[in-house]
Amino acid sequence: MLKSQRQKDFVFDSVIYVVLFIIMLTMLYPFYYVLIASFNKGSDSLLGGVYLWPRNFTLENYRVFMDDPKWVKAFLVSVLRTVSGTLLGLLLTSIVAYGLSHRDLLFSKVYFTVIVFAMYFSGGLIPYYVVLRSLGLLNSFAVYIIPSMLSTFFLLIAISFFREIPAELKESAHIDGAGELTIFFRIILPVSTPVLATMALFMGVGQWNSWLDSAYFVQSEELRTLAFRMMEVINKSNSPMDSLAVANSASAGVTSFSLQVTSMVVSIVPIICVYPFLQKYFVSGIMLGSVKG
Amino acid sequence: MELETQPKSPGTGGGRRSFLWKRFKKQKVLHLFVGLGMIYLLIFAYTPMFGILMAFKDYSISGGIKGIFTSDWVGLRYFDEFVHDYQFGKLVRNTLVLSLLKVLFAFPAPILLAIMLNEVKHMAFKRFVQTISYLPHFISWVVVVGVSYAFLSADVGVVNKALMAMGFTDEPLAFLTSPNYFWGLAVGSAVWKEMGWWTIIFLAAISGISPSLYEAAEIDGAGRLARIRYITLPGMKGTIVVVLVLTIGSILGGGLVGSNFEQAYLLGNSINNPTSEIVQTYAFRVGLSDGRFSYAAAIDLIQSVISVALIFSSNYIAKRVSGSSLF
Repeated sequence: MLKSQRQKDFVFDSVIYVVLFIIMLTMLYPFYYVLIASFNKGSDSLLGGVYLWPRNFTLENYRVFMDDPKWVKAFLVSVLRTVSGTLLGLLLTSIVAYGLSHRDLLFSKVYFTVIVFAMYFSGGLIPYYVVLRSLGLLNSFAVYIIPSMLSTFFLLIAISFFREIPAELKESAHIDGAGELTIFFRIILPVSTPVLATMALFMGVGQWNSWLDSAYFVQSEELRTLAFRMMEVINKSNSPMDSLAVANSASAGVTSFSLQVTSMVVSIVPIICVYPFLQKYFVSGIMLGSVKG
Repeated sequence: MELETQPKSPGTGGGRRSFLWKRFKKQKVLHLFVGLGMIYLLIFAYTPMFGILMAFKDYSISGGIKGIFTSDWVGLRYFDEFVHDYQFGKLVRNTLVLSLLKVLFAFPAPILLAIMLNEVKHMAFKRFVQTISYLPHFISWVVVVGVSYAFLSADVGVVNKALMAMGFTDEPLAFLTSPNYFWGLAVGSAVWKEMGWWTIIFLAAISGISPSLYEAAEIDGAGRLARIRYITLPGMKGTIVVVLVLTIGSILGGGLVGSNFEQAYLLGNSINNPTSEIVQTYAFRVGLSDGRFSYAAAIDLIQSVISVALIFSSNYIAKRVSGSSLF
């Protein structure tokens, strides 16, 4: 009896480990494949059969990528919007959240109703476009930053975090004569690293990955983001018309496919670099907002 | 200090009011902080809500925001036009099928993964699998589509090359450019991208289950499957219901597995259009590309009304059936 139970457990465990191992492979291999494809000669990749490592190793794809001012500019726009968008978003969200985290705040019911209503209802894309147009935000770098500075979701997460900070911290600062601004910048923000890191990760990744706003609201070639450029290349090679189109670069052997995987690596690597550091924060941070009891 | 000031307030009517005023003045910096957020929401969230009016009006973009209020009413003309659009049937079918398939496959996937991870005793392996599994969540849809292209396209796709090399097929399968594959492709990539992410929440729910329950069950002779069935699953019930309500409420937009719009837009092309065109991509095309703002706003509005109705009804049903709900 006991032995058969143990055998059953062994079978059970084996099945689970095998399934999880397969899941892990399907999650990892695509990234790995894109990486090796970016180091393989473009015209060679088209022949197929490159599965585990580059067959025809080359740095040509990256060289063409970096020599193309279109890609370089798009990369810079993405970096700039990610840094500034994240910083400004963090600033506005945490300032508003700090104000709302005071339980004795007058009219707080009104404020919260306004926020929650905005969370569930929206005007949709078309009216939003009209508003941005009227504000003169279309076709400007600001359209990447300003409309996404405050998210109601992060606001609620930050509020519940600030409420956990012991009141004594603020009181003693008050007694020492500190104003709200001083308290906020010198006391609240420094002890709020977990929630700030969580929000920074999400805002940053959102900014970095964003291509829709570039497609909707921007016509100027100068302001295209990396994600948008990538979308262009992928769409072009994906469309049935010119599936074998070779990128119009002087370099032999670089195809639109190899350029595409190269740009993908460039866009994935920054995320993979920051994510281990912020991971421990966001797992607890997202719990804060989602699971209560 | 506060107590001292209260009786001092002059008796000439509005003692309470001046007390409130004092409190407000004391909090003025805080109200300034919050006020920033309120102004922001007014501009970027509430003004567009008034813009919904344009669905009932003959709006032209040259009118700006003011035009939302000043242009002529046309009643339900644009709604009528949409319902009689020759693509209407196709759009509604594609939207519903895509959303339902996603709930059907993408909703149970993270629950199963969480249960499996919970059975793993090697902490290092468990953590590793988990970390890898939510990585795709942080990668944009553009990259996910790029990955699908690298794997599935007819000319460079690894899968087709491998299938042909092994002799399973003579010519490449048109995964990306055939209406037959679009739904599977969309659902598969959605599961791949978001499964690990939602697992975090289910694992948290499992970690809230008391270990003594498992010990007691083990003594009673319950095997591993029995423990999953009678302890783990019931312990996750509340979380499962909440996530299900969230999913159903946002089902038309793509729910918990990401944006239907981005998938349909990026994976869609002229050949798989019969299954890939959905209400949202159509609204985008007629709205921003063709400049028919009122018509697109009407289509958008229909979709959001259905979504709101879905979230309230699923929440109500969840409350009645299981006692747990979102609000």
